[in-house]
Order: sequence, then structure tokens, then C-alpha cells
Amino acid sequence: MKRLLLLAALAAACQKTLPAKDYSKLVSSNPRAILVVPVVNKSVDVDAANYFLSTLSVPLAERGYYVFPVNLVKRMLEDDGLSDAALVHGANPVRLCTLFGADAVLYVTIQQWTARYIVLSTQVTVEFDYLLKDGRTGEELWKEHQIRVFDSSSANSGGSGGLLGSLIGSLAAAIAAKAAPNYMPLARDANTAALAFPGPGIPAGPYRREYRKDLPPSAPPAPAASPPARPAVQQTPSAAAHPPDVVE
Amino acid sequence: MRATSLWGVLATFALIFEYGCNTQKTMYRWGGYDEALYDHYKNPQKRDEFVVRLSGIISEAEKSGGAVPPGCYAEYGWALYEEGRTTEAVAYFEKESKQWPESRPLMEKLIRNASRAKAPAPAPPAVPASAPEEAKK
Repeated sequence: MKRLLLLAALAAACQKTLPAKDYSKLVSSNPRAILVVPVVNKSVDVDAANYFLSTLSVPLAERGYYVFPVNLVKRMLEDDGLSDAALVHGANPVRLCTLFGADAVLYVTIQQWTARYIVLSTQVTVEFDYLLKDGRTGEELWKEHQIRVFDSSSANSGGSGGLLGSLIGSLAAAIAAKAAPNYMPLARDANTAALAFPGPGIPAGPYRREYRKDLPPSAPPAPAASPPARPAVQQTPSAAAHPPDVVE
Repeated sequence: MRATSLWGVLATFALIFEYGCNTQKTMYRWGGYDEALYDHYKNPQKRDEFVVRLSGIISEAEKSGGAVPPGCYAEYGWALYEEGRTTEAVAYFEKESKQWPESRPLMEKLIRNASRAKAPAPAPPAVPASAPEEAKK
């Protein structure tokens, strides 16, 4: 069933025309290691942030990047008094990346994570913003927005025709279960689509075979293959001046 | 002739599909890492279960001969560290560092912290490892 979802997502991703995104900064930044920080949750479902955090490592690592262990990162930040994700998102990205030795940091915000019950149907909606920032300059490298709406009535009648219209029987029932709707298939689907490349996502990272071979044609030539350089402390005077106490 | 060109078309399609949409097979053997995290956040009281699953993910991936997915050694090491099993924790931080060079700076810090935590007598209510020595004076 999962495979079906994935296939549908892939088909959808492959059909889409390339959006005009500027990849020049991402290409020249050439990150290898990505820090995924806790998710900011703007929905009313208090559990959504952690649940969604659990879905991010796999699709990102499968794009060929090293992804820092999300639970470890979360715990370390909490130990340092940064248990509020909004504080983490508001912190200096350069300092954050220096702390963990990351090349880039991925901030994800949940805009919607809701289920509405209308007479005979259930409508489940998830909406996310993804933002990748450079660990050395703090500049924005890539961003993406995804929304998924699942309506049990149109799914059961096979109506909606779209990606989720093809979901059948048990999975549809699971997503729309009244007692506890399952947002996870929608969340995973949104992540896959967000990261797909070609598509709106990010080019392959160093652990994929197509690394540096799938770049958009307009991209500047790749910088000379540099060793997996870490953002050195010297490059970030502010961070060096105030050594982070979270891991020291 | 017609058959040949049909094959050609089919092969081209297969190639395009294979090349353009080849994320169907995952690079790593995740062994349900995301589900384990999800369940851990859903039922934090079942922490032991989470730790056992992490250990299972690692041994399964090792058995398969492939790379243990990024972060898994470290995640498990951290769980051990939280339980005060610092020596074992360090071993897993080292494994992460060796398998994934990108993690080395962080793993080195964690290893330093772990060694510092185990240096004093193993008092159960240990001082948070992140607290600088000076802060206690």
C-alpha cells in the first residue's frame, strides 16, 4: 500500500514541470550534512510537531545527504534550554550549524494538521513549509511549500482523481478514522514530493550516484571538489567568541 | 522491424522510468527507523521498546552488509548515554563517526562529554553533562 502511495507520488512528481527555482546558492553551497531541527507547529494539534519530525530523516537521507539524528539533536537542544522549536528557528543558523558541525539547517513549519468531520465524510489536511539555510552564511538556500487534503467521501467514490483519489479502501479508512485520523501517510507523501528532484526538491547529495550530475542546466559550474569540509569555527567569529555550551 | 522499434520504445521508457523515478528502492535499510521514532513520541513511556528497536535496526543493517543509515548509531548511542551506559555509548558514537565522517565533530564532542560524565563516581543523579565545571563552583 505504501508502495502504491510512493508510486503515485513519483508519477505526480515526474509529471510536474520544473518550477523556476533559483538553485545557484544551493549548488554553490554544496552541503553534505543537514541538521533537521525540531518542527514549529502552528496547528492546534500539540502532538503534530514530534510526529512530523519523525518523518523527515528518511526522505532527506535518501536524497543522499548526511542527516543528523533528529531525536539526539532535539534532546541536546532541550538540555540547553531550547525546548521551544520557535526559539531554535529564531536562533542564528550559523551558530546552530557550528554547534553540530552541519553544512545546512532544515527548518520545517506545520501550517495545518487538521481533521474536519462533515456529516458523512472526513477531511484531513496537512500543510508544511520547508526552509533550508546555509550553515556558513545563514543565507536561504531552498524553500518549498506542500499541502495535502484528503477527503474521505471523494476518495471512497473514487472521484477526486488526483494523487489521493487513487487511495483505496483500508488506507483511506485509516487516514479518515474518526477517533484518530492518521496524518502520517499524507505527511510522508508531502515530504517525498517536496524533496523530489527533478521537481521542487533538492539535487542529489553526495551519497547518491547522480550527485552533481542532476544539476539544473543554468547552474554555475560546480566548485572544485572540496574535501568534506566542516564549517570551521574560525569562519564564524560570533560562534567562536561565544562557544556554545550545549555540547562543550 | 516493428518489433525491434517497439522494444526500443519500451526500453527507452523503462530507462526513463528507472532513471527519472528510481527512488522506489531505498538506499538504506531503515528497518522502520521513522516508525520507531513516531512510536517513541506517541508513547514516551515505552522508552525501552524504542531502544530495543534502534538496536535491532543497527544489527539488521549490519547483517545485510550495507551501511547503517545516517544517525542510527548515534541515536542508539545517545539512548545508552541517557541510561548512564557511557562506555557503550562511546562505542556507538565512534561507529557513527567512522561510518559518517560528517558526524565526526559532533561525535567527538559527545564522546568528550560521555568520558567526562563517567569520570566521577557513577552517582545516579548525575550532573547534566553539558553543565560546565565552572558553573558548579
